[in-house]
Amino acid sequence: MSVERHFTVPQRETDPDLADVRAAQGDRAAFGTLYRRYLDRIYGYCFYLLGDHHDAEDATERTFLAALGAIDRFRDDGASFRAWLFRIAHNELANSLRQRSRRGAARLAGDGGGEAASHSDPAGLLGAAEDARRVRDAVGQLAVDRRQVIVLRFVDGLSAREIGTVLERSEGAIRVLQHRALRDLAALLGPEA
Amino acid sequence: MSERPSAAACLDQALDGLLAGAPAAVAAAGAALDAALAPLVMLGADLKAALPVPVVASRFEARLEARLSDPAAGRDALAWILRHPTRLLVTGAVGSAAVGMGITAFAAWRHGHRPGRATHRLLQR
Repeated sequence: MSVERHFTVPQRETDPDLADVRAAQGDRAAFGTLYRRYLDRIYGYCFYLLGDHHDAEDATERTFLAALGAIDRFRDDGASFRAWLFRIAHNELANSLRQRSRRGAARLAGDGGGEAASHSDPAGLLGAAEDARRVRDAVGQLAVDRRQVIVLRFVDGLSAREIGTVLERSEGAIRVLQHRALRDLAALLGPEA
Repeated sequence: MSERPSAAACLDQALDGLLAGAPAAVAAAGAALDAALAPLVMLGADLKAALPVPVVASRFEARLEARLSDPAAGRDALAWILRHPTRLLVTGAVGSAAVGMGITAFAAWRHGHRPGRATHRLLQR
């Protein structure tokens, strides 16, 4: 009698960046590949959280310099490289927001994303542009942690698990936060949204 | 008996589908989403459209790439010190010597230019 055994081995997603990370750990010049891959998305995260191109550039620069300095310490122990990189960006953003609150500047994301419309809207789509602006304004009104979840999810395409690594929360907590953020946004945008 | 996934988990699953490229209605249906949550998936589609990845200024991109390719870039100061302790000692010694020489030179100059010194010398004669 043959006995079939079904083992459920927990499959961990392989980190697509791992080979490039290993290369960068051996030769810093190889870090350029990772830099080019993530520059836009790290900048996007910083931009939508800070709402200012100049501040976003500063935070992006500090993030990549810190990542390069710490690349030897990255270990493939569950968290993906991109979650690790966004975690560094998150810490840099926290510093920037702290400095900003000390200076009393309260302006946060909202406008500004309009000029980021690299998708080159065909002229005349003013209504769509206005809708997009309203959505961005509403995102700017969210509490910081909810805004972080929205930006990491919809701009940077991170999963709830990865966002959990970035914000040091459980995957379940991120899902709940995401749900609440979307509900808040729906309320802010009103019935026409 | 399997537990029914929470509303937040179902919504997250639908958003996974949406972000993978499925239309909002398909993503909502695929996750067997509660009717009350379906509008949130539509809102997710609006968010995706309203929040494009911003364009990075090419000058900034090039400048940062140049900085990162500098061999000293991002090097952890502490790690550098631990790797080259003698350089730190030499830097410290040279720095202290420079400060000492500076103070001595200033004291000598000050001594030679003390106000009223010439008058004082004349009165002593």
